[in-house]
Amino acid sequence: MGFADSQLEAVLADVRRGMIPAHVYGDPQIFALERDRLFARSWVFLAHESEIPDRGDYVVRRVLADSFIVARDESGAVRVMFNMCLHRGMQVCRAEMGNASHFRCPYHAWTYRNDGSLTGLPFHAEAYGGEDGFPREGQSLLPAPALGIHNGLIFISLDPGAPPLREYLGDFAFYLDFYTRQSPAGIELRGPQRWRVKANWKIGAENFAGDSYHTPHTHASVVDIGLFREPKASKRKEGALYVAGPGAGTTYKLPPGGDFAGQLRYVGYPQEMIPAMAASWSAGQRALIADSGFMVSAATLFPNLSLVHNWPQIDERGTVAPFISLRQWQPVSERETEVLSWFAVDAAAPEDFKRDSYKAYLMCFGSSGMFEQDDVENWVSITEMAAGSMARRLKLNSRMGLTSAGQPIKPPLATFAGPGVAYQGFGEFNQRHWLRQWSDHLEDPR
Amino acid sequence: MTARPLPYGDPAHQAAHQFLVEEAALLDAADYSGWLDLLCEDIRYLMPVRVTTARGAGFDSLADMGHFDEDMYALRKRVQRLATDHAWTEDPPSRTRHFVTNVRTFRNEAGAPAELLVESAVLLFRSRGDTRAADLVSAGRADVLRETGAGLRLARREITVDEAVLRTQNLAVFL
Repeated sequence: MGFADSQLEAVLADVRRGMIPAHVYGDPQIFALERDRLFARSWVFLAHESEIPDRGDYVVRRVLADSFIVARDESGAVRVMFNMCLHRGMQVCRAEMGNASHFRCPYHAWTYRNDGSLTGLPFHAEAYGGEDGFPREGQSLLPAPALGIHNGLIFISLDPGAPPLREYLGDFAFYLDFYTRQSPAGIELRGPQRWRVKANWKIGAENFAGDSYHTPHTHASVVDIGLFREPKASKRKEGALYVAGPGAGTTYKLPPGGDFAGQLRYVGYPQEMIPAMAASWSAGQRALIADSGFMVSAATLFPNLSLVHNWPQIDERGTVAPFISLRQWQPVSERETEVLSWFAVDAAAPEDFKRDSYKAYLMCFGSSGMFEQDDVENWVSITEMAAGSMARRLKLNSRMGLTSAGQPIKPPLATFAGPGVAYQGFGEFNQRHWLRQWSDHLEDPR
Repeated sequence: MTARPLPYGDPAHQAAHQFLVEEAALLDAADYSGWLDLLCEDIRYLMPVRVTTARGAGFDSLADMGHFDEDMYALRKRVQRLATDHAWTEDPPSRTRHFVTNVRTFRNEAGAPAELLVESAVLLFRSRGDTRAADLVSAGRADVLRETGAGLRLARREITVDEAVLRTQNLAVFL
């Protein structure tokens, strides 16, 4: 691959000590390794079951260059199939969503059921001599090598030997529930908005994992205009950063003294949603809000699924409405990323809450969101700078929160109700956690 | 739309066309407070997400998801933000040109007599910095223009963008 093992070793050693060689954000050789050693193995999010509620519903999603049909078959099961015809390799389904009992290849009309099985092969007898020349039985679009579903979130891995999804999620599942299981009904996703940005995919993933430090400055404008009830963006430093399993995230500190229901009302949840949240979450999950006093905000599940939860004011009266977004940083190349950004809401929420929450989402995140606008400007700029020669001489300091000896500048929180390790205040613990996983994948030649 | 558009010589069409051209001039001058003055207080500013679907699917945009779905509060906040010293994505600002064409004006037979339905095409050219390739955003627009004492005002805009995947880094600009 034209990238000596010793060079890679040096890059990964630097990354692991929190000094990131800047070129990793614009390097085609690094990107090739990410494709072959990371995305070829890791669990990657594709879709949510609410996007394909009925039999025959499908969406088409990618893992880098590989296109997959994610369909609900006639038995109601979720199927994920490589979108390439067995015969001549045509893309079988060229729409991105719809409802179909069958997928017919436009080239020679080979036809597949929505479970992937080959059912139609024109002129089978004349062209192949029937079953003898081409046995149809058991032929199917290639299934995803591994498929896992958690809280309706559909993941695949290109590695048939991947650990089970639930095992992979580990302690991060605790935090995932705040975004994706606010009631037994689960969430429904809308979208995604899709747009391409000239930025390396890692930057967004790292940012959402733990960069509370950027909020006071990058997002000063949304505070300037009074979009939030809390007057100061520096409030961010009171939040906790946690690392758990393959994920990491940020939280906001809630006002002192609130109980579980009171804190949820504070961030804008109507009273009628709160009993379902209390029933849906464990005692530990409730304690994170009620006792530790933290509310989840941005997070990233390695490698490229991020989540965000925030609560702006959505009208002149100062109505506070929380929203949830799931977003994927889909790599196109080392310098381009397709962002897929979904609005997510509890499926059982009242309609007026869904309306308000959707408005909150659109104002803050997504293709037009007032937070996201400034984030992407930064990330595009970093990617441009990383592509040149000088970036090979610069190591970006990602050691925030550590002493020169590599010890945390303050101890982890002793009374944080969630699993994993949490620190209060600013630090790059989470980004380093993300980058350690990245390094582990990249150095493994398997 | 089944009705026939007004003749190009019709004063109502000419007023609508001129409105769109004047509006584009305000946007390209980044005079966003001037732009807000052209909007009705009950404005709905909508840009659905377009999707790629089979010809027979019966839809090619998402009914419940937009890039924009704004009321006056949300648009005012966006404009206020751009006027702060901290809206980095537009500082330095984009150079934009809104090319507005294919304008057709219809009487609003079913709705209020003081309203015109105006369809147009817009091509947004957006250039940022000195090293990046410029962006193009092509869209159709269906507007409701309302006659007020102060002249025509925009009461509703639905933007039908011509890409399923936008090729611009964000929508910190208006269409």
